Amino acid sequence: MDKRFIQVGARSPLPDPAKKPRRSVGKPAAALAVLAVIAAGCLFCEAFIPKDPAYMDLYHASQPPSRAFWFGTDTMGRDIFSMIWHGGRVSLAIGLLSTAVSTGIAVLSGAASGLAPKWLDGLFMRAVEIFLSIPSLLLVVFLQAMLGKAGVLSLSLVIGATSWTSMSKVVRAEVRRLRGSEYVLASRCMGGGFFHILRRHLAPNFFPSIMFMVVMNVRSAIAAESTLSFMGIGLPLETISWGSMLALSEKALLSGAWWIILIPGAFLAVSLLCMTSAGNWLREGGRQDSSHL
Amino acid sequence: MRRKNPFIYYGGKALAFVISVFLLSAAAFYVSRLAPGDPLVSYYGERAEKMTAAERAQAEARLGLDQPTGVQYIRWLENALRGDFGISYKYKTDVVKVISARLPNTLLLGGIGFVLIFTGALALGALCAWCEGRLADRLICRVGTVISCIPEFWLSLVLILVFAVQLRWLPSSGAYTTGGGGFGDRAVHLILPLAVTAAGHLWYYAYMIRNKLLEEVRSDYVLLAKAKGLKRRTVLFRHCLRNVMPSYLSLMAVSVPHVLGGTYIVETVFSYPGIGTLSFESARYQDYNLLMVLCILSGAVVILCNILAQVISERIDPRAGEGEVPEHG
Repeated sequence: MDKRFIQVGARSPLPDPAKKPRRSVGKPAAALAVLAVIAAGCLFCEAFIPKDPAYMDLYHASQPPSRAFWFGTDTMGRDIFSMIWHGGRVSLAIGLLSTAVSTGIAVLSGAASGLAPKWLDGLFMRAVEIFLSIPSLLLVVFLQAMLGKAGVLSLSLVIGATSWTSMSKVVRAEVRRLRGSEYVLASRCMGGGFFHILRRHLAPNFFPSIMFMVVMNVRSAIAAESTLSFMGIGLPLETISWGSMLALSEKALLSGAWWIILIPGAFLAVSLLCMTSAGNWLREGGRQDSSHL
Repeated sequence: MRRKNPFIYYGGKALAFVISVFLLSAAAFYVSRLAPGDPLVSYYGERAEKMTAAERAQAEARLGLDQPTGVQYIRWLENALRGDFGISYKYKTDVVKVISARLPNTLLLGGIGFVLIFTGALALGALCAWCEGRLADRLICRVGTVISCIPEFWLSLVLILVFAVQLRWLPSSGAYTTGGGGFGDRAVHLILPLAVTAAGHLWYYAYMIRNKLLEEVRSDYVLLAKAKGLKRRTVLFRHCLRNVMPSYLSLMAVSVPHVLGGTYIVETVFSYPGIGTLSFESARYQDYNLLMVLCILSGAVVILCNILAQVISERIDPRAGEGEVPEHG
């Protein structure tokens, strides 16, 4: 910008926008700290939870928060405080597992499609489009029915298998950009196979650009798990997770038991928010140049 | 520049559409048959479990379920091409009738929601770009990040808890009170579902408009327009916004399935009698005929919207020759 002004002989605008301290996207310390506390609490929950989360104390069903039950009890008489930490483990595990599945599929399919000849690539993109056109909720219901009774593993598999497409598109675009470069050509000439090139040459180059999507994928997988469990097609009530705790909320609505709905949901929303902040931080920071308007 | 023959151009698009829908129908047919569960239960109810083997075989033959899947599919396709989509096992009437009874509700919710999202995102995004970096911009971005993190179903629950259970201002479920059904009654039932639908999607698109505008504001022609003495408002709304519109329009076309998927969840939480609750039911109870039509219907909408997005971006901006549909993440 300066250069242009100097070229036409005008004075450079003041103050110099490059030197102006810009409000950059700082490290989201608070978000990371909250996330760490939640994760640690879930991992080491045996040390401090007062009650067995699965124990149904039917004499004390639907109790509001009190000194005995810090966050109250649900309609089946389970202690919500203990369930939160215990269920958080399952929710976080599903988030991580299904992200591993979807990232794996995305990297393999994206790289294969990016390296493939044009007609195969076009065919693949068509197939992805058709895959995308089935509403993912229906797809999940199908897959869930095929895999049988839902467990942590099968649910993460299903969520992972339905959430890889946008990441795969990014990988494909990056691979198409990289595949003409000399080092890939050299590696091919020396007989490097698909997986060798992918691991040594392509992955290190495209990984930074999908890092943000990976974090966001954890977030949306946890949200998907809770939505599915809430609708009754995810985890059963006995498998405690943030989503399956909320599956009781229809009964809770009738009796006005707000703590059954608000407390697990708040934990869920706060963790999702922290993950989003972390993801946004991974994406390149704010813009450098100033507005012309 | 090479001009394409419009017949070949639109003919090709139509052909791609037909082939995609055909493939989709085949895939949906096979996958729905793979799912375990007993379609007879949804037709005969409890009685299906007490049937003898002979009765069972007879019932299956009557519904055509005894044939291999390939034969079933070809028979289904033959009938479908004649406009006969079979009967719903659960409702025992023509599938088209079942769907057409529910379709207006979903179109109402989805349509108004879509318009709200479209205009709201444009207004918010432009506002943010107008006061970039100032309080309003930062506030809107922050609020947007927080709300878009909240799962839709939980947002619905909280709204029901506040407005229906505590304050008793709005109804908590359904599309109209039984017996009623006037305009006011319907509108009152729509407020909460619409609020959730709009709030869940609005921010993403507003943010996209904002970022596109901010990119645009940094280009050279804005400097020229400013040097020419044009007003800030004129530059932003006449020049920048107009340049952003093509990509926004095609993004909105691609976004239809996301809004659709969102209304499915919202419909379930509010027990709103629409297509979403219907497809959910039909998938759970193996109501094959109903499921097929619903799958094809929503799939066709999605494919149509994708093609529309391509056409829009190619028509308005001829540089987008390859027709890359914008990324939706």
